[in-house]
Amino acid sequence: MDIKRTMELGLALARADFKNSNENSYLGILWYPLNPLLMFGLLLAVFSTRLGNNIPNYPLYLLIGIIMFNFFRKTTVGSSSSIIRNAVLLKSVKFPRESLVLSVVLKSLFSHIFEVVILFAFLVFFQNSLIGMIFYPILLMFLFIFVLGFSMFISAVSVYFADIENIWSFATSLIWLGTPIFYSIGGQARLLFVNMFNPMYYFITAARDIVIYSSMPEMWMIAGIVLYSFVSLFVGLAAFGRLKHRFAELV
Amino acid sequence: MIMERIVVDKVSKKFRIGCRRRKDTVARMISIFSGKEPKKIIWVLKDVSFSVRAGEVVGLIGENGSGKSTLLRTISGIYNADGGRVRTKGKILFIWSRLTSLGRRLTMKDFIYLQCSLFGLSRKSAKKRFDSIVDFSELGEFVDTKLYQFSEGMKQKISFSIAVHCDPLILLMDEVFEVGDEKFRAKSRKKIRELVSKGASVIVVSHNLSLIRKYCDRVLWLDDGRIAGEGECGKVLKSYVVAETSKRKK
Repeated sequence: MDIKRTMELGLALARADFKNSNENSYLGILWYPLNPLLMFGLLLAVFSTRLGNNIPNYPLYLLIGIIMFNFFRKTTVGSSSSIIRNAVLLKSVKFPRESLVLSVVLKSLFSHIFEVVILFAFLVFFQNSLIGMIFYPILLMFLFIFVLGFSMFISAVSVYFADIENIWSFATSLIWLGTPIFYSIGGQARLLFVNMFNPMYYFITAARDIVIYSSMPEMWMIAGIVLYSFVSLFVGLAAFGRLKHRFAELV
Repeated sequence: MIMERIVVDKVSKKFRIGCRRRKDTVARMISIFSGKEPKKIIWVLKDVSFSVRAGEVVGLIGENGSGKSTLLRTISGIYNADGGRVRTKGKILFIWSRLTSLGRRLTMKDFIYLQCSLFGLSRKSAKKRFDSIVDFSELGEFVDTKLYQFSEGMKQKISFSIAVHCDPLILLMDEVFEVGDEKFRAKSRKKIRELVSKGASVIVVSHNLSLIRKYCDRVLWLDDGRIAGEGECGKVLKSYVVAETSKRKK
């Protein structure tokens, strides 16, 4: 795989897709932060006095959970149809197929950066320490690797099994509910056990530790992040590499 | 020594296509419910061999469904061959009529950059060639217009202009050899001749036999995935027309 060409093309496709999706929209790129912000406002209004009672800095706790999960959900759901959606392109040009998935991840990363700016504004508003934000890009890099690998896998597999697109869209809603985004695990052992197998739990918890509470995440948390990221990338690239040769014929 | 740009060696290609099969009621219900259709394997290319030298323009003729587009896609590496192998030397560009549907909602300017990137140019070299591409397409006043507002002819002009500015050494053209008005056609012919004189090879798929006779050095006739005839234009085209006429009479 030619990495430089894949990157360049991924960027060009993301740029084109970005322009396409903002066409004729009055709010344009404002929609990117607006969506998670509306979700944030709603959940805050409903849960702040119930589930968020015992959680320190609940609004920030909630916002970090929403924007990180949003990055994961938007990218993986978008990727699940990224190959099928680009049938004409696949039948027209020989190019590194990986760049199609990369373009989806880059587009989501761009909107995630918007959301991070809002998070920053909230940190200032709630007079929270800003020092943790310096380390957020490192965590984001691992999240990027994890999401990229996962997206590669799901995009390739859904060319062969069309049902995956629907299943995944449903599954992300379940994972959203299972991940402690608007609540805290507290002492619920069963929920904690289930979340051990949920990579997003590691990313979100570590981000909260770093950004809100300015503390170092626990070592097993860091180990989980590194492991999930590289296993995801390895499996994603391997599956994509094996299946990509027949994409043009199958779409 | 004359360099061979394309060598197609005993290439075969199969597809799994949907078909109708006799089914019992249960199987039919499952099929309706799941949306899955029975598939069968068809061989679209069967043992195809030929080569194209540098500086040669080859015509590819045959009925619809004879495997012409599949052959071009297999040469360009979009499809992998299921048997035999294809060897090529130089950058390959495949142009067909739906190329512009990629960027329907993009402006002409954005489409040029995207297409150049897909054809392997960096953004920097695309920037350098941008003015020349726009000039060649004669659509300078529409640079900021979205592609879906263009006529088919205008879109073909852009595709062609981009392709010839991306340094192709192998140009595979599927039904898009002569596009645009007469002035543009003359210019395209000149540009293709220029590329060919510099050592590029061109394969042209067309149902327009007079066009093939006019531009091609050689013709390949594909019938049901096999090469039915190959050689000098006059002879092959004559046999093709005879075969077509007799098929129609039947």
